[in-house]
Amino acid sequence: MNYARMKFYCDEERCIECNGCTVACAEAHELPVGISRRKVVTLNEGIFGKEFSTSVACMHCTDAPCEQVCPVDCFYIREDGIVLHDKEKCIGCGYCLYACPFGAPQFPRDGAFGTKGVMDKCTMCAGGPEETNSAKERELYGQNRIAEGKVPICAAMCSTKALIVGDEQEVSKIYRKRVASRGKGVQGAPYGWDKAYK
Amino acid sequence: MRKFMFLFIAAILLATVAYATDSQIWGNMRLTNILEYGKENSLHLGPLFVKLQSQYFYKIFFGILIGVPFVFFLHYLIVGPKVFSHGGVKIYAFSAFKRIIHLFAVIAFVIIVPTGLMIVFGKYLGGGTIIEYARHLHGLATILFTISVIPMFLFWFKDMLPTSDDIKWMFILGGYLSKEIKEIPAGKFNAGQKMWFWVATLGGIVMIITGAFMYLQDFDYGIAKLFGISQIDLLRATAITHNVLAFVVMALFFTHIYMSLFAIKGAVHSIITGYKEEEEVKYLHSTWYKKLKKEKKI
Repeated sequence: MNYARMKFYCDEERCIECNGCTVACAEAHELPVGISRRKVVTLNEGIFGKEFSTSVACMHCTDAPCEQVCPVDCFYIREDGIVLHDKEKCIGCGYCLYACPFGAPQFPRDGAFGTKGVMDKCTMCAGGPEETNSAKERELYGQNRIAEGKVPICAAMCSTKALIVGDEQEVSKIYRKRVASRGKGVQGAPYGWDKAYK
Repeated sequence: MRKFMFLFIAAILLATVAYATDSQIWGNMRLTNILEYGKENSLHLGPLFVKLQSQYFYKIFFGILIGVPFVFFLHYLIVGPKVFSHGGVKIYAFSAFKRIIHLFAVIAFVIIVPTGLMIVFGKYLGGGTIIEYARHLHGLATILFTISVIPMFLFWFKDMLPTSDDIKWMFILGGYLSKEIKEIPAGKFNAGQKMWFWVATLGGIVMIITGAFMYLQDFDYGIAKLFGISQIDLLRATAITHNVLAFVVMALFFTHIYMSLFAIKGAVHSIITGYKEEEEVKYLHSTWYKKLKKEKKI
């Protein structure tokens, strides 16, 4: 039996850099100031014909490098491929940030003397190891929309539907259809993206 | 009062906002950091760090943790400790100031090394609060080490410069492989102690700096720019350096403990009282002994 593998994909032909996903994410999960689980970046800025924007968060990599380097093994990968972590195990060392090709792990300065606290990242709106939809889960990880059968907030609100999420087979089917209809593909995703879609 | 509180909170919030925009990692710099990952003609530090941290570092730490004490255990059984008379004349070697500074370093190391190992083997200890506190303690004890390392470097610097004795000492490995007690070529400090000194001081300073980088994580002192790399790549290089240097520091720290506590019976008293046994100096630091004799200090 082949399990579904959940992936995000941001279609750079459609992304209009509205930053709606960033705001939606921050609001839905009540993130503190300075934490942006999702961010819109613009590549090749100012280079005519090459400039494009794309939305980046945790890409829920196959063979996630963060999971490999964590000294306390706080990461776990769900059967559907969503990479999550246990904030009660995390020690805030920052190794996952060094391993990540996307700069996804975030560290709020909430410790004593403004030291960095435990890591926070995109959960694909799937919460954490706590009891599903419990107050604690919401407090630590934000909403668990996946458990409610809803699409992650960023993709749900994307006005141009540049950001799509779901089983990788389905995502690539939609993407292929789009490429076929407009007659051209991507401009070449930056290095590191192959880590996510291996 | 309320107005004051309001201003106080506003100041904190503004500081946080300023902090977020100045970020070297998640702000505008995020793109630079992303593009650096494994890009052609980049340093490939990301994949290298992942490989080393996931497959090698903890195994090497485990090897040193078990291997070094095991080798010394065998040495203790086969060659045995060097025993010198503690009844004879005593030679004053370490002033009270030096002993106190050394004590600071002792306390710092006794905290830093085990807490460091707790972080390395965090997954086997369950992670969470205990390991997080170990990480904080690892950093706090560094303050004590920072205080001690500079005077220690300065007052022992001259005695620790290499001499011709050190080459001879290296060839016979300080005579520690034989039971025979004979005059070993060494000044006030032998080549082994010198090795430890340079690793502990210069290496220690590198450990402090790399540790501080990882602790602060998101800073801009122009260091990454100086090397022409992204902030994340600087942190990756830092983490690799910190771990690799930790192998050497840890192995030599264990050696230092074994030598002072077991290999030379009672040698540890010299750093507590300040006095070394005459016989110990005569055989293990023969050059220094001859010099003291010549200067009629004994």
